[in-house]
Amino acid sequence: MEGELPSEFDLIVIGTGLTESIIAAAASRIGKNVLHADSNSYYGGLWASFTLDSISKISGSTPQSESDATKECLTFGNNNFSITNIKEEWHVSEGNIEKLNECTIEDDPQQIIENENWTKNKLLALSRKFNIDLLPKLHFARGEFVELLISSNIARYSEFRSVSRVLTWLNNKLEVVPCSRSDVFSSNNVTVVEKRMLMKLLNVCLDSTDQDFAEYENKTFHAFLKDQKLTANLIHYILYAIAMGTEKTSCRDGVERIKRFLNSLGRYGKTPFLYSMYGSGEIPQAFCRLSAVFGATYALSQSLQGVVMDDKNNYKGIMCGNQQINSSKIVIGLDKAPKAFVDHIKPLRLSRGIFITDRSLLESEKEHLSLLLFPPMNDKNPVTILEMGSLTGTCPKGLYLVHMMTDQSNNPYDDLKYYVDTLFTKSAENVNIEGGDVENRPQLLWSFYFSVPVSNDFNFQKDLPNIFVCSGPDSDLDYDPSIKIAKGIFEKMYPDSEFLPRAPDPEEIVIEGDESNENEEILQKDLDEKCKQQNKQNEITEAENNEA
Amino acid sequence: MATRKKVLLKVIILGESGVGKTSLMNQYVNRKFSNQYKATIGADFLTKEVQVDDRIVTMQIWDTAGQERFQSLGVAFYRGADCCVLVFDVTAPNTFKSLDSWRDEFLVQAAPQDPENFPFVVLGNKVDLEPRAISTKRAQQWCQSKNNIPYFETSAKEALNVEQAFQSIARNALSQQNHTVDLYSELPEPISLTKTAPRNNGDSCAC
Repeated sequence: MEGELPSEFDLIVIGTGLTESIIAAAASRIGKNVLHADSNSYYGGLWASFTLDSISKISGSTPQSESDATKECLTFGNNNFSITNIKEEWHVSEGNIEKLNECTIEDDPQQIIENENWTKNKLLALSRKFNIDLLPKLHFARGEFVELLISSNIARYSEFRSVSRVLTWLNNKLEVVPCSRSDVFSSNNVTVVEKRMLMKLLNVCLDSTDQDFAEYENKTFHAFLKDQKLTANLIHYILYAIAMGTEKTSCRDGVERIKRFLNSLGRYGKTPFLYSMYGSGEIPQAFCRLSAVFGATYALSQSLQGVVMDDKNNYKGIMCGNQQINSSKIVIGLDKAPKAFVDHIKPLRLSRGIFITDRSLLESEKEHLSLLLFPPMNDKNPVTILEMGSLTGTCPKGLYLVHMMTDQSNNPYDDLKYYVDTLFTKSAENVNIEGGDVENRPQLLWSFYFSVPVSNDFNFQKDLPNIFVCSGPDSDLDYDPSIKIAKGIFEKMYPDSEFLPRAPDPEEIVIEGDESNENEEILQKDLDEKCKQQNKQNEITEAENNEA
Repeated sequence: MATRKKVLLKVIILGESGVGKTSLMNQYVNRKFSNQYKATIGADFLTKEVQVDDRIVTMQIWDTAGQERFQSLGVAFYRGADCCVLVFDVTAPNTFKSLDSWRDEFLVQAAPQDPENFPFVVLGNKVDLEPRAISTKRAQQWCQSKNNIPYFETSAKEALNVEQAFQSIARNALSQQNHTVDLYSELPEPISLTKTAPRNNGDSCAC
């Protein structure tokens, strides 16, 4: 094992969730000496992604047992912000395990498995091809998150896919929502008259100022849409899909959401949304990487005990195993915060369902990354559904990963049951029972339910000097609230410093060192060679251009 | 004629702290060496254009940025690697012994298509220093037992064998890419935010 951690830092950050990771990166970036530690063996906390065999082992972060050595400190962890209500179901048979063990090493298991019936063991053999998000996020192409990635140069650590279609549930079936101008005009779901109405309305929203909607100050967006004499179909598209709202959404919010949606259109793809390759759990890691590059010390799998206060009840440091590590400031993720720091916060919960299916909800020639905004049904909350295929790097070829999330009213299973029953079938036998749409429904192979704490309330801070508790995940589709909170905490800690200025590209960094003469000789030779190559390359490019 | 895509090879360098990973990179790319040991601030990945046979490829060499010190390299670091370089210090036996676990760690985390044939290259660094603890033969034997991993003895300080080693790394990484590229060539490229955003003419304005 490696030696002990240093015992003195400017800043200790506990937990590798997104908000903590942004703060760690921002502090390292301005030269602070940062320790970023986590008790988990993986990055991301409640924002992490898991392989298929590891997700069923999550249990959130429960308080660690109060071991003898730690009576002196406030123990990390609390019960308010952990994952609960976990329920896993396999809808396929166990399958033959020996056959798979034989082939996993020598051959690509994918090829052997294709076109056969799926079993539990076949899916588990592909476990590492799954990157299953605890809380998947989409990014508005011109939203704060994307702009921050670009301006800070953290974008170089991640790749993205664009959401290729937005779906809604209308008249008992799935429909593609026309969201860009070309979509609107090529759509068969809207008449020519409707097309004009839709474009006009979107323009009105986009060009509007607050005063334009003064008469709707206390009214709903739905009321506004109705007054515009739009057809029922159009109201549905605009309210539930483009504004991602409900009948209760206020007019002001509705218009703001339409603007957010429209402003991000046309930058990277057919819809305003991006999704990070290999899952949302990559994003905290990108910030941690930047933080490490700027000198932060990273330590996962640490036995983090608690926060140490001095005689005057001021923050002093932490206990990590038997070692005390001091710092002038500390940032703690909500799920790791000692009970005393967060007992005043009442978390909301999201009901989550994750499913593996054998085909897309709405099959098409090419693989889609779909966002389905399911309007509220039977007095339930609306459900946000993301369906992703192998192109996202989150599931094997031939399968789909479906994420559902909704504000919790009862428990995840009951909250989502109606939607699951409407969209999927549970076993292959069902297919023949009824005619109609049933046979086209994707078959569920695996379901996983849990509830995840979210904190949409931004006021976490008790009056504790030098201790900063960050928010956990929230129910926003994008990361905007987390960025705001991270920035807020950073500015409180280091009021005169710039928040994540652009990191230099590697070639901009001048590396100090000795140069020996013989090296210079090689360097010169190499440069000449490179120039020659460059010229050759230019010629080729020119020739190609001329051909074109 | 098929258009030849610009080739970008991702190479990651693994090994215990202090074996000279950063120094090797700097010697190769910048022709510089510093005796001062420091977790290099701001060093992320270095890029260098290399010629392999008739092709010019861009090699992107990723440093661990110190995250290996407390076993905290996240899975994101390993994604999409075309070649993995394992470095040990020929004067420090423990750094050689840990090669096994670094190789295993890589195979688990990166989960390459074809783990048996994934290209590794092993570098025994600091051959300018005495006393030597790991003999050439011992290192070669280990490499042979792991499906004949190419082995180089280097000195980042003296610039010894560094060029040759990285040439071999580039060649191996390229063969790995040629091997897998057919599988994916029909797939659309992921979106990178660092490049100028492509314009979708029809959709460029919402209204």
